[in-house]
Amino acid sequence: MKKNIRLIAQILFVIAFLILWQILYSLQIWPPLLFPSPGMIAEAFVKAFTSKGLGPMILHSLRLLLIGLLLGVSVALLLSALSAINEVFAAIYNMIVSMFDLIPGIALIPVAILWLGIGDGAIIFMVFHSVVWPMSRSIINGFNSVPNIYLEVGQNIGLNRIRLILGVFIPAALPHIFSGLKVGWARAWRGLISAEMVFGGGTALGIGYYITDRRTNLDVAGIFATIIAIILIGLVVEYGIFMVIEKNTFSKWGMTR
Amino acid sequence: MTEEKKTPILRIRSLTKQYDNSQRVILPRIDLDVYPEDFLCILGPSGCGKSTLIRCIAGFEDYEGTIESNGRIVKKPGTDRIMVFQDFNQLFPWKTVVNNITYALKASGMADKKARIAKAEKYLKKVNLFDYKDYYPHQLSGGMKQRVAIARGMALGSSIILMDEPFAALDAMTRNRMQSELLHIKEKESMTVVFITHNIQEAISLGNRIMVMSRNGEVKEHLYNTLEKPVTPATPGYGALWKHLNDLLTEERADDK
Ligand SMILES: Nc1ncnc2c1ncn2[C@@H]1O[C@H](COP(=O)(O)OP(=O)(O)O)[C@@H](O)[C@H]1O
Ligand SMILES: [Mg+2]
Repeated sequence: MKKNIRLIAQILFVIAFLILWQILYSLQIWPPLLFPSPGMIAEAFVKAFTSKGLGPMILHSLRLLLIGLLLGVSVALLLSALSAINEVFAAIYNMIVSMFDLIPGIALIPVAILWLGIGDGAIIFMVFHSVVWPMSRSIINGFNSVPNIYLEVGQNIGLNRIRLILGVFIPAALPHIFSGLKVGWARAWRGLISAEMVFGGGTALGIGYYITDRRTNLDVAGIFATIIAIILIGLVVEYGIFMVIEKNTFSKWGMTR
Repeated sequence: MTEEKKTPILRIRSLTKQYDNSQRVILPRIDLDVYPEDFLCILGPSGCGKSTLIRCIAGFEDYEGTIESNGRIVKKPGTDRIMVFQDFNQLFPWKTVVNNITYALKASGMADKKARIAKAEKYLKKVNLFDYKDYYPHQLSGGMKQRVAIARGMALGSSIILMDEPFAALDAMTRNRMQSELLHIKEKESMTVVFITHNIQEAISLGNRIMVMSRNGEVKEHLYNTLEKPVTPATPGYGALWKHLNDLLTEERADDK
């Protein structure tokens, strides 16, 4: 019941927002070229996919995102696991994480370009950077907060170090790992689009490039359409992927905090 | 003590324990033999070192002196001494009831998956939880969780089951039921139990041996409980034994300033 009311309120808000937008458009305060109507944006949205090739651009961006995300998560898991095993390594790794986490991804673009050239490699590098540090932070936090009793039970039934990490530390820390993944994904997604925009046309692929391209064509409706696509993708990832995984893992296990 | 000449399954000599961060000697030179099939209940005032003792036996703590389990010096936890904690959270929440047991069997080196499942199910039947085998721990009551933990210990074929006040956090009725269920299992299975409690009734109902610890961690008294099981308050001799134990414990409390 409560949930329904919230949903209705949200839908009503969106409708009101669109109406207001339409009214502002009709008043012709700004030229339609700079301030398109919702209808024009919708049209541009459809056209972006049907004739302007936004679909493949998105797929290209998502592919790079996925590669960077997987790399970042794997490296974070591996290095965090090592720091769970070795205290000296933990001390050094903690320091590295706190330092590197402070660097905005965009600040690394010049280095990425010089090292890897303009292209997929540099983008993946950016995504990796956006993911690996927050992920490490969350995993280390998660490992540190694993209740002692799980570790003692694990040792008691005969798990060695490595199996203790895989079989106890990781599942027990899953809620933490997951919140790290969410932070990492959000940063990576933004970082990726910024990087593509900075590269602006060098590769001629990706969402960021597409937005830049719309701007050079003075296609404001197209820019808004792309922004909507970006929001939609975010929603799909949040509710279609993250929430489903969450429901089928630690929520099902009664581990949500 | 006139026990027949069996070899002890657990042999403790001059066990001394002091935590690194404190001056106090918790256990001052304890000697103790536990024989196969024993059900040893350890009674003592809160903070006297009962958990410390059983944790040393389990291999969770460093100690001075000797502890031998099946003739081998205890250096770390092992499946020959399985611990059942008071904490209900000793099952892995990410595994179903049956998988909590099969996982322990796998960790302890049982390779055949079918055999693991069969064994886990067999012991779940013994604790009357077969119908709950596919539940996750958070869907069980505290008493049920403790029974799964006991089943896990038995399935592992541990020669000694160590129980640190496993029923202390249960309500009185559940606790009584768990006691008789445990006795019932003990009659049918050949198992050796070291059972910590601060409840006199529980010690009398369960133990064939009762050890009382003093406030400073020494063995104050060690007696055989010859009352015929199942013991009720109406059992002849119950009152006298209860009073004797209560006096011993009261002395310990009275010594407190
Ligand atoms: N990890 C620890 N470090 C330092 N002191 C401890 C630790 N664990 C227990 N103690 C102390 O040892 C004493 C005995 O504790 P414990 O064995 O838990 O008693 P019991 O189980 O009989 O209530 C207590 O004074 C307690 O404060
Ligand atoms: Mg205790």
